[in-house]
Amino acid sequence: MNTKELTIGFVGNPNCGKTTLFNAYTGANLKVANWPGVTVEKKEGAMRLHDETYRLVDLPGTYSLTSYTMEEMVTRQYILSDDVDVIVDVADASALERNLYLTLQLMELGKPVVLALNMMDIVQERGMEIDLHRLPEMLGIPCVPVSARKKTGLEILIHTVAHHQDKAQGEKIIHHHDLEKSQHEGVEEHHKRYAMVYSDEIEDKIDEIGERLLKKYPEETNENLRWYAIKILENDQEIKERFSLDFSDILDKDYEKEIINQKFGFIEEVIAECVANRTKKVESTDRTDRILTHPVLGLPIFLLIMACVFFLTFTVGDWLKGYFEVALEWVTETTTQGLFAMGVGEMLISLITDGILAGVGGILTFLPNIFILFLALAFLEDSGYMARVAYVMDGIMGRIGLSGRAFLPMLLGFGCTVPAVMASRVLENRRDRMKTILITPFMSCSARLPIYVLFSELFFGDKAMIAAFSMYVLGLVLAILAAFVLRILDKSEEGDMLLIELPEYKTPNAHTIRIYVWEKVKDYLSKAGTTIFVASIVMWLIMNLGLHGFTTDMNQSFGAIIGKVLVPVFAPIGLGYWQIVLALISGIAAKEVVVSSCSVLFGIGNVTTQAGMANLSELLGQMGFGPLNAYALMVFCLLYVPCMAAVATIKKETESWRLTGIMAVFQLVIAWVMAFLIFQIGSLMR
Amino acid sequence: MTLYEGEKGSTLLVLRMALPVQTERRLEVLGMLEGTRIVVVNRKKRGAMIVKIRGTRFAMGQSITRHIEVKEV
Repeated sequence: MNTKELTIGFVGNPNCGKTTLFNAYTGANLKVANWPGVTVEKKEGAMRLHDETYRLVDLPGTYSLTSYTMEEMVTRQYILSDDVDVIVDVADASALERNLYLTLQLMELGKPVVLALNMMDIVQERGMEIDLHRLPEMLGIPCVPVSARKKTGLEILIHTVAHHQDKAQGEKIIHHHDLEKSQHEGVEEHHKRYAMVYSDEIEDKIDEIGERLLKKYPEETNENLRWYAIKILENDQEIKERFSLDFSDILDKDYEKEIINQKFGFIEEVIAECVANRTKKVESTDRTDRILTHPVLGLPIFLLIMACVFFLTFTVGDWLKGYFEVALEWVTETTTQGLFAMGVGEMLISLITDGILAGVGGILTFLPNIFILFLALAFLEDSGYMARVAYVMDGIMGRIGLSGRAFLPMLLGFGCTVPAVMASRVLENRRDRMKTILITPFMSCSARLPIYVLFSELFFGDKAMIAAFSMYVLGLVLAILAAFVLRILDKSEEGDMLLIELPEYKTPNAHTIRIYVWEKVKDYLSKAGTTIFVASIVMWLIMNLGLHGFTTDMNQSFGAIIGKVLVPVFAPIGLGYWQIVLALISGIAAKEVVVSSCSVLFGIGNVTTQAGMANLSELLGQMGFGPLNAYALMVFCLLYVPCMAAVATIKKETESWRLTGIMAVFQLVIAWVMAFLIFQIGSLMR
Repeated sequence: MTLYEGEKGSTLLVLRMALPVQTERRLEVLGMLEGTRIVVVNRKKRGAMIVKIRGTRFAMGQSITRHIEVKEV
């Protein structure tokens, strides 16, 4: 038995069904992490077949192996490392012409490559035919037809990988028809060894660069000499920097373009010989697109779809949330009683129930909303519709200096800022990404809703709905305004170029959706278990500890001391009450905490019930806290620093404490100024 | 004419691109080269369009399409 486990790297274009294929092998049994130093996701799984273990690594989807994007860098660095034994190049067989470009690049790397022709079911459905004998002949690598969705050909693919692991590429058929004309030395040998043979001019240059490399760096370049030479000829900065050799005499012009051209020339040859009946049927995608990306109807249809998503998230989600709340109440009560019966000290009981359970449990009750939101998004994504939104929204977003792609994260912001900020990764341009991350927190997330509900119902009676809804509008307006101002400040014109592949529409795959949603839910649960857990304990501590140690009088706690220090800052915006200040600070842990803190700080048990509300309203009224203060509070809550989880995500995505800090300060200032304006102007009008 | 002026349903031949090198490379890697035939699948009156290159659809903003010279075939 072979004890060495084989590592297979899965590489492919975006939308080639690579993830579906990967999931078909590994199931939910996978490790998700980031590639070292970058925010590109790394997925790893394992599978067993005939007593052998295979390690599968899913690489980011990429169109090529240049060094322009993070995904491409990660992919090629990993493939070049000793870690990967065999490359499985996943190609969408129904769009082979475009997919083969990456294949040709991968073959040049000098590692064993197996081509997985995915989506063979669609190829057959469309009446297309692929010559599976001629294709491997021309490419010189095994080509295995598979269908990740129908789960066919999966075992054969792994078999092929196992048998192909040590083999150098096989002998190729001579494919260049004008071979006789070639003057390049050793051209026959080239055609035997490499599928992709360039023109004489380029082959001469490759040899020349190769000779120089081999002379100075015999060890480093031994295995991938041809690839390094081609990359240098393509003027690839990263590779050039690795070797301190001067190639300026060889690189007398731009060869990259010529190399790409010749690769596609060969691809056209392959396609002409190996693919038949390419455009026989009118594709159903075109018919669907005629409606969904209609110049006039596209936008209303999109708005309707989003309305449905939010309706589901809030109605079904809230309905399920009710049960979670009941369960939480029961758990809290039982725990309190249990701990009391066990004779646990009052302080510890308070920490567990008022601190941890109130904090972590409160967050967990939002799980149904999160679940439904991501389920809906997974459907939109997997069906292929999501990419169309970028096209539909491009015109409107263009006016605020962002591409249509930037709209996707903003949309998610209504659900939760954390995944929204993460979704900004789809933007390739860093400046656009930063801009989007900056304005996304203004989109009112679902955690802020409890604050609006509580305070608008307390102070605005039958106009409560309007008051709450005005927050969403205000957030959206400020986001657009901020983007607009940034656009004016930012002189550089280039950037936001919309270029996005619109995949074929397909029926969403249950397996893919399950894994997608489960990953998000897992993220959310681990957030509750870590960040919120710690924040809850910290909050409890500062509210229960004072200068003289443990205190039951909140007035003496560190919390009160901190709150009172900050009162002068909040007085001009109508929030100069230490309890409110403290509630706002606690809201940085998670926005919904503002509500629970209020109930704790004012000593009211069930703040959301009728009696509790009346009670709180009376207490606040006695303090001189009226409707105007309440509105200022809501505005401040909408705009000030998002929760800790969001800030942590922003830090992770921007990879800069400085930028994160600037954003936090910017949001605090905006919140303060807006609340100030509303409170002061409102006071004057009274 | 530029690609931006291309009508819905028309087949066009790419003649020249005048874009930043990086953008040009990205397009070339997707198979959009000088001499490639592309089809305008859908377009907005003013703004982005959907273009089919070698069997795959791409949405392209006007900041790209305005800088690509094409000819009708």
